[in-house]
Amino acid sequence: MWGTGILKGMWVTIKNMMRGPITVQYPEQKLVLPERSRWAVAPKFDEEGNSKCTACLNCVRACPDHILEMRTHADENKRKHIDEFTYEIGACMFCGLCVEACPFDALCMSKDYELATDSTDCLTVTLLKDRPTPEPRRAKAAEVDHKSHEPQREGAEESTKSAAKPEQPASAAPVVEPPSIAPETEAPAANENEPMVAKEGDDVA
Amino acid sequence: MNPVLVAVLRALAALGLMLANGVVLIYMLRKVLGHMHVRLGPNRVGPFGLLQTTMDVIKLLTKEDVMASSVDKWLFRLAPLMVFVPAFMAYLALALSPTWRFSNLDGGLLYLFAVLSLVPIGIVIAGWASNSKWSLIGGMRAAGQQIAYEVPLLLSVLGIVLMSGTLNMTDIVRSQQGLWLGFLPRWYIFPQFPAFLLFMVAGLAELNQTPFDMSEAESELISGFANEYSGMKFGFMFLAEFSNSFIIAALATTLFFGGWLIPGLERNALALQLGPIVFMIKTYIGIFVLMWIRGTLPRVRVDQLLALGWKRLIPMSLAWVMLTGVIIKLPSLFGGVG
Repeated sequence: MWGTGILKGMWVTIKNMMRGPITVQYPEQKLVLPERSRWAVAPKFDEEGNSKCTACLNCVRACPDHILEMRTHADENKRKHIDEFTYEIGACMFCGLCVEACPFDALCMSKDYELATDSTDCLTVTLLKDRPTPEPRRAKAAEVDHKSHEPQREGAEESTKSAAKPEQPASAAPVVEPPSIAPETEAPAANENEPMVAKEGDDVA
Repeated sequence: MNPVLVAVLRALAALGLMLANGVVLIYMLRKVLGHMHVRLGPNRVGPFGLLQTTMDVIKLLTKEDVMASSVDKWLFRLAPLMVFVPAFMAYLALALSPTWRFSNLDGGLLYLFAVLSLVPIGIVIAGWASNSKWSLIGGMRAAGQQIAYEVPLLLSVLGIVLMSGTLNMTDIVRSQQGLWLGFLPRWYIFPQFPAFLLFMVAGLAELNQTPFDMSEAESELISGFANEYSGMKFGFMFLAEFSNSFIIAALATTLFFGGWLIPGLERNALALQLGPIVFMIKTYIGIFVLMWIRGTLPRVRVDQLLALGWKRLIPMSLAWVMLTGVIIKLPSLFGGVG
């Protein structure tokens, strides 16, 4: 009938009006990020706050952009001591190869997505600074998050296997970690306490 | 009391109502459109963003008033007044209740339409004086559109004038007292429903509102005739636009929805005391419907708009006036002497 199109349109509009806004008021409210979203590279720490990094430099070698840089020296016990581990976040393409290359599960792709800075100096992030390295101890399969059985992740595991040394366990696959891991220092706009907090809490589906 | 003083005070009251309406309507429009777009609308300044419009007014008042060197200086200054003053004058014909009214003109309806027909002249002046092609196109479109739609707007209310036998706004409302068949209010919306539809379409066109906002047409003409204006000159035009939508909604309330009357409570003293509030509520519902249409329908093309006006609305409203007249006169024809 003539004119029903107008009424239909009006109905759609009023339904939308009753639906309520879907706007997320960003700085105050934040969405829960997808579990496998990945942003800046960040070091992982154990419960005591120690890094698992043994300064094997696998990540530095794996990086296609040559943006990871680690300066080390041998301490009095002939162990490697990390002077500084830096990361040029401005040139990072978030490929995650460094995380896959790490045999000690010492790196992760964090969920810190607020990466904008007001100065190019802030684009160089110091991941680790002046730290002794632990006894090299490869991550065991049991420690690895078994979400890696999803098909996409399995493909990633295979590529890790072929890229890494043959005797390495597949456990070097990246692990999706809760977002409490933040870069140690100078992380741009790093939100220290619970950076991903959203309206409905952080129980990610 | 000095009658001149009374008149001045009434005019000032009308001005106050107009300015307050402007502030409220701008906020309301942004909120309503926001929610229709599943957004929030203004919510930063003040609680629920209530102070947003106030701040906007302060911004407009303190903004630099830019005037390009190539504009026609006198006409450029005159145009905002030519848009604003008729909108203000139209308020003077409104009657919020038998006691709350700015005037009691016997030709109130005629006066209101006469005054509203001055608005397009101001818009054409603004378009011409700005010496900008966008403004000129906007002004020309306004001329073509508003003059075309004034005719069906006037004709659509003629049926009511025939039924009520008066042009006085108060008397038109009074003639809607009572009930039909014991339950239906004697509002003219029921017998004059086709006229109401014509009134709505013509009123929207007269208001320059989406879907008929050809003269502003943000996506085509930036902001059309108001393009070269800034500061409070723009503010006047903006305010006039919003107060016009109040006037059209108030007119619809008066003519079709029984003004300040609550059906069944016409003789109740308290209901009469509440008249202005009832009137405002009805008017704001009408304004909401206008905003609803604005949030829904896309803009039509100029040729479609003019074809609708001249080829459809005018013949239809003429036919409706004739039909109403015949029906009103029929009983007296059969009842003997006319």
